[in-house]
Amino acid sequence: MSDLLSRRSAAVALAVLAAVTIAAGLVFPDSWVGTVLSVLASPGTHTAMLRLAVPIALAAIGGIFAEKSGVINIGLEGLLIVSAFSAILVTFRLGAGESTALLSNHWWGFAVGVIVSTLFALLFAAVCIEFEADQIIAGLAVWLIALGLAPFASRIVFDSPNTGNVGTFDAVTVPVLSEVPVLGYLLFDTGPDVYVMLIAAVAGWYLLARTRFGRWVEASGENPKALDTAGVDVRKVRYAAVLLSGIFAGLGGAGFALGQLGTFAGGGETDIGGRGFIAIATYLFANYHPIGALAGSFLFAGLDAVQIRLQTYGYAVPTELIRTIPYVTVIAVLVLFGKTRLPEAAGEPYDPDED
Amino acid sequence: MRDRIEGLIGRLVRASIVERVAIAAAALVAAVVVGGVLVFVSGGFASCASGLDLAGWTFCYNPMQVYYELFLGALGHPLEGGWHVHNFSLATTLRETTLLAFAGLSVAVAFRAGLFNIGTQGQLVVGGLLTAVTVLFAARFVPGGAVGTLVLVPLGVLAGAVGGGFYGAIPGALKAYGGANEVITTIMLNFVAVGVTSTLLSWRFQDPESANPQTRAVPEYAEIPTIPVIGYSPRLDFSLLALGFAVALMVGLAWMLARTSFGYELRVSGVQPEAARYGGVAEKRMTVASMTLSGALGGIAGAFWVLMQHGRWLENVPSLGFDGIAVSILAGNNPLGVGAAAFLFGVLSSGGRSINTATDVPPELVGVVSGLIILFVAMPEFFRMIGRQFLDVDEEPGRGTGGGADE
Repeated sequence: MSDLLSRRSAAVALAVLAAVTIAAGLVFPDSWVGTVLSVLASPGTHTAMLRLAVPIALAAIGGIFAEKSGVINIGLEGLLIVSAFSAILVTFRLGAGESTALLSNHWWGFAVGVIVSTLFALLFAAVCIEFEADQIIAGLAVWLIALGLAPFASRIVFDSPNTGNVGTFDAVTVPVLSEVPVLGYLLFDTGPDVYVMLIAAVAGWYLLARTRFGRWVEASGENPKALDTAGVDVRKVRYAAVLLSGIFAGLGGAGFALGQLGTFAGGGETDIGGRGFIAIATYLFANYHPIGALAGSFLFAGLDAVQIRLQTYGYAVPTELIRTIPYVTVIAVLVLFGKTRLPEAAGEPYDPDED
Repeated sequence: MRDRIEGLIGRLVRASIVERVAIAAAALVAAVVVGGVLVFVSGGFASCASGLDLAGWTFCYNPMQVYYELFLGALGHPLEGGWHVHNFSLATTLRETTLLAFAGLSVAVAFRAGLFNIGTQGQLVVGGLLTAVTVLFAARFVPGGAVGTLVLVPLGVLAGAVGGGFYGAIPGALKAYGGANEVITTIMLNFVAVGVTSTLLSWRFQDPESANPQTRAVPEYAEIPTIPVIGYSPRLDFSLLALGFAVALMVGLAWMLARTSFGYELRVSGVQPEAARYGGVAEKRMTVASMTLSGALGGIAGAFWVLMQHGRWLENVPSLGFDGIAVSILAGNNPLGVGAAAFLFGVLSSGGRSINTATDVPPELVGVVSGLIILFVAMPEFFRMIGRQFLDVDEEPGRGTGGGADE
């Protein structure tokens, strides 16, 4: 209850801050506040925000399924890395801009990216469910393996930790609807990766909130014993949920790679740059609600989009510092809303023989 | 109360120490095997002049050669002629061992308190910059030569510990007083550390005579001194004194954990938080204190990276902090085990370089193998299953189907 209150007061504080910023920006259009406002209001920022939200929103929705079922998947970052990299690699190998079996090679790359991520999730599921590994450590291992594997494979194929460029998906323009003000350019004249995100968010919500499987996932994380007693195999539910987290993260990673990046830099933190961890903060923020996670991802992606565009204005504020804004915001959000209640049995392997 | 918990922990440790070592060894072997398969298979996708031809495919990489370079190359090829203990590769291995020992201790201390400090990397970055800046500033007021060394080196290490400790205290306080999960906050703070330090660098501390993003070099007498005659040449960027300091820290931390009341409270907070609370441990202060200590150790790793390896702070910091996670997990978070694990990862790190020079296999293989080691260490049940399958041993008393210690 107190949590709800603080969420509400934070929303009010944000609204007041936004109002003050807009007023100041309109009164002094040449000040830096005016610049920030014009960046915030520009359609380019909004389009960029949607595209940057793809990996965060989809990984977050995947993470919701895994964690709701009782398996904390902290390896989402690793799943984003492998899916983004393999999507680019396959598209490049098949030939960017060409088609195989009547389907654009970008879509083949996209499909393989999702499959690779799902296979990694399967491995993670087996390690956690079959061999009762510590979920946090196993998740870190998935991340670290992906962090090494992507540049390893990239060096073999491209002779560099960075891949070649394959370009991005063409925007899909829906006739007539794209002429609608605001919603038109946002929702009906954008990349297929954004459509995938929006559809997947609704599908994820429906699956979790409206189907029997969703109730099983919930029970598997809250009270696995009861689910077992009801005749449902807890392990199978958890396997399915973790595999779903792999599919969603794969859609996010491959969609981000082919919709936004067009190439993949595997050095250092890679092009994913912590978006998998931001996704975890996002679903905690959204209290495990898929649509809420989609909205939360707009916050972080929006900050990212704004900082990218602010850099082009050449203010004295150094770019490195602006770049940290999304990360600092994640910390602030966790402190303000981090006390989300985890599912009762999250983090523990389920042992049916236990009393 | 205290005696009972002490006895319980003691029994757990003694019962599991042999098994821990066995699992670490098994994890290492398993990771090497899987890594070897990966090398062989990926060789099928590489292009090369000559390789192993199998059914029309050419496999370019020989895993045996890769591991030969990895493990023996790191020691300077002791089986080949002309080997000398003061060789470049061994110096590199021992330098990495030293730095990884500090980073591993940083992760281990937090782990023992029940906290996942993924932020050692950021603490190392911040501590290292503070070391370089402090030493550069203080060098103006300190005479050169031996006096300079005696003042500046301890001062620099202290500055690193303070910087890292402060940066570690932040996620500790956020966890204790804000309830923010330390795994996420420390990862985010790693990114923030990179942004803030490179901003500070370009704002004030950039070496004006260099195009690389780095600070000016500290005076030579402010670097970690080497021991004459038996020590390594200063050109090899490794000092036995630093290794000695790392060993002393390991022993000191092991003693602290085992014998002091602070160490006792730290361990109980990690093993049984409820019992700690019942026993009167100030839980929140303990969280901040152990994260500060952990951060300080990460900062010391940064200080030695600056004062031993480069003599300056560079924006491009290697991933010592992340490797420290692997070191600590392999060591079972035991300070003395960290020494052995740090040496293993020192070999991997240095061997990665000799792979790069002697073979066509990408050196990133080392990152994959480290990740695999962590993965296998995390699943002891896997090895217990294999053990039960092939050895047909009787179930140990107290270990049922699920591993008694975990329940």
